[in-house]
Amino acid sequence: MRWRLIKIEPDASMQPIEDAFNEDLAHSVLVTKLQDLVAWSRAHSIWPFNFGLSCCYVEMATALTPRHDLARFGSEIMRATPRQADLLIVTGTVFRKMAPVLQHLYDQLLAPRWVISMGSCSNSGGMYDVYSVVQGVDKFLPVDVYIPGCPPRPEALLQGIILLQEAVEKDRRPLAWVFDETGEAARVAKPSQRDLRTPERMAVTTLAQPTTVGDAPLSGELLSSTRTDHRMK
Amino acid sequence: MSELADQPATDTGVAAELGAQFGSDCLYQHTVDGIPTFWVAKDRLLPVMRFLKNQIKRPFPLLLDLSAIDERLREHRPGQPDADFTAFYHLMSLDRNEDVRIKVALSDADNRLPSLTPVWQSANWYEREAFDMFGIVFDDHPNLQRILTPPLWEGHPLRKEHPARATEMDPFKMTPEFQKAQQEELRFVPEEWGMSREAKHTDFMFLNLGPNHPSVHGVFRVALQLDGEVVIDAVPDIGYHHRAAEKMAERQTWHTFIPYTDRIDYLGGVMNNLPYVMAVEKMASIEVPPRAQVIRIMLAELFRISSHLVFYGTFAQDVGQMSPVLYMFADRERLFSIIEAITGGRMHPSWFRIGGVCEDLPAGWDTMVRDFIDYLPKRLAEYERMSMQNSIFKRRTIGIGQYDTAEALDWGVTGPGLRATGCDWDLRKKRPYGGYDQFDFDVPIAHNGDCYDRCRVRVDEIHESLRIIRQCLDNMPGGDYKALHPQTTPPPKERTMEDIETLIQHFLNVSWGPVIPPSECTMAIEATKGINSYYLVSDGGTMSYRTRIRTPSFPHLQMIPLISRGFLIADLIAILASIDFVMADVDR
Repeated sequence: MRWRLIKIEPDASMQPIEDAFNEDLAHSVLVTKLQDLVAWSRAHSIWPFNFGLSCCYVEMATALTPRHDLARFGSEIMRATPRQADLLIVTGTVFRKMAPVLQHLYDQLLAPRWVISMGSCSNSGGMYDVYSVVQGVDKFLPVDVYIPGCPPRPEALLQGIILLQEAVEKDRRPLAWVFDETGEAARVAKPSQRDLRTPERMAVTTLAQPTTVGDAPLSGELLSSTRTDHRMK
Repeated sequence: MSELADQPATDTGVAAELGAQFGSDCLYQHTVDGIPTFWVAKDRLLPVMRFLKNQIKRPFPLLLDLSAIDERLREHRPGQPDADFTAFYHLMSLDRNEDVRIKVALSDADNRLPSLTPVWQSANWYEREAFDMFGIVFDDHPNLQRILTPPLWEGHPLRKEHPARATEMDPFKMTPEFQKAQQEELRFVPEEWGMSREAKHTDFMFLNLGPNHPSVHGVFRVALQLDGEVVIDAVPDIGYHHRAAEKMAERQTWHTFIPYTDRIDYLGGVMNNLPYVMAVEKMASIEVPPRAQVIRIMLAELFRISSHLVFYGTFAQDVGQMSPVLYMFADRERLFSIIEAITGGRMHPSWFRIGGVCEDLPAGWDTMVRDFIDYLPKRLAEYERMSMQNSIFKRRTIGIGQYDTAEALDWGVTGPGLRATGCDWDLRKKRPYGGYDQFDFDVPIAHNGDCYDRCRVRVDEIHESLRIIRQCLDNMPGGDYKALHPQTTPPPKERTMEDIETLIQHFLNVSWGPVIPPSECTMAIEATKGINSYYLVSDGGTMSYRTRIRTPSFPHLQMIPLISRGFLIADLIAILASIDFVMADVDR
């Protein structure tokens, strides 16, 4: 191989650094409010409780496995005991026989704690309006995020967790009453994603045809549209 | 009419032998499934059952099902003895490849029956279930407690007067008192189960495993009596996943019950639709076109692979291997992309219909299926080296949780758990249903009946399923994907615009759904986990009068104490994983 040394000729795209010290500082030092830092850390280290009731649990487990890989969003550390977890994902049908047990488990979660209701059964009883099923986990637990579906796809769970992360980052106590400057108390709003997304969804004019094999309709697009930039401001 | 009670018993098979032994004590009833059905007086029940299990030549060792029917509102039961409740027993003989159904009439005032627990071990839980659901009392039962409903439940849910909907009952309230009372009732009392708290040199420890524990595969609880880490005895406790599918069937039309079947064995997908739609088809005399049959088989086998992959991965995980489950779930995702392309759904496609399937296969399905069945064997070979040949895996599973064929049958074990004991009982081969006789495949068996062999059989079954799917792929027939039967398919739209008769038929079929003639029918298939059967009773309406769902996992769990005594807790985890149960398949 033949080679030679040349002298670098600075061109227009290369600017000399004027304040090297401050530039360097900006890369290594961060100024923020402590409560923002805490909120950011909380949002990105949510540990779910390894709790499963029925079919939805399998889709939740699928969300942990390679194609979906929940680890990308910082919530893959499933704890087997409620005392180490801060997120309860109610995956499946809430049975009357199981409800007291579920309440007992919830009571053991340490605050701050959050609840995601995954799937139609847990949201409202779903297709099981029947004597042995509680018509929605919100009959006795406060729910932060509802994920529709029977069972919801793993992508839907990812979306639910991202929504929760955004809420946790924004509102330090999403379940609590919030007092504004005038001293007025207000609940933290839980906007319906259906209402927010209806215009965008109605704008879709070409749908995948059931008569031909295509790509899975939901996965990629759904994730890219919900994932906002999470770098600390 | 399909029921002719006074039709003489046929003079062959078990009917003739029962007639010779018990004469007029056994009253024959005709059913559309052709299973010899006999009414027996309750005081003759035990002798008849003992005769069928022990004395008859080529006996009936398997108590496949036991439950009851609330007859009080039923209109069409010509020739059947008067009854408020009917208890029925479904027996299966492997030798004869024949079934027999025994029925006992009960009145509301006197609903007591002798317990069959001295004859079949598996009768224990079935009788508890019948007690829980109907209030039938089984004399001399060792511990006749509720099994599916919560301990403080009032009423018996499958009685017709019990409310079906939660919204018909008082709204659910979680008060601290309610929670405390329920939790207190769940406390395990060893004395209730005939256990002592101490032995000569040791105090036993009682450990509550579940109902929420990562390694019990769902909401399932086992109370363990332990001497150190050794399991002395175990009491499985179920009912935390009781979704009341049987009650649900009594208010859904024949078609709209199909989605509920998907959720019985929730890893089995459309496999669950199959016995249900086939039973309805038999009752309504609907012929399924060949293309629909082959599509059904192909999808059912795809779901068998999917279910076995979940089993394989979680089993390896439960004995300590972290990676296989991740690889196998990735394979399962590939498989689900096929399921999704064909059905539009993933776990619960509800895609089979009475008379066929929901729609035709989409263009391009064959390439997807071919890619997958070419891809999977290489992966399976890798897993074979990774798991099945792994020395730690082998030492954790060989010789653990062993039982033999006789024990398996006595406890009602079917499916891979039975085939791991060297018995090649596979309904796809023995009673080819829905077109399985057209396929070339083997029934894998193993001989030790331990955890390793149960896994071995399932892994081999994945290969056989791939063989079946390849044959489906290469020989997919043309033609209709659904029978052109008035009960299944609405008339052509153009004709409904021309004459009123067709319009009425269209309207009724869409709004009410099909009316199935009064009849009784059982359809059993070889599902992913064992024999799954639906026993449907139609009273000539648009809904089922009684739907009995026999699921394989229910008896399998009952066997846990027998196969885990003397092993360590860690072995119990391997045993639980090797059974491959799904709690929805246990509690329904």
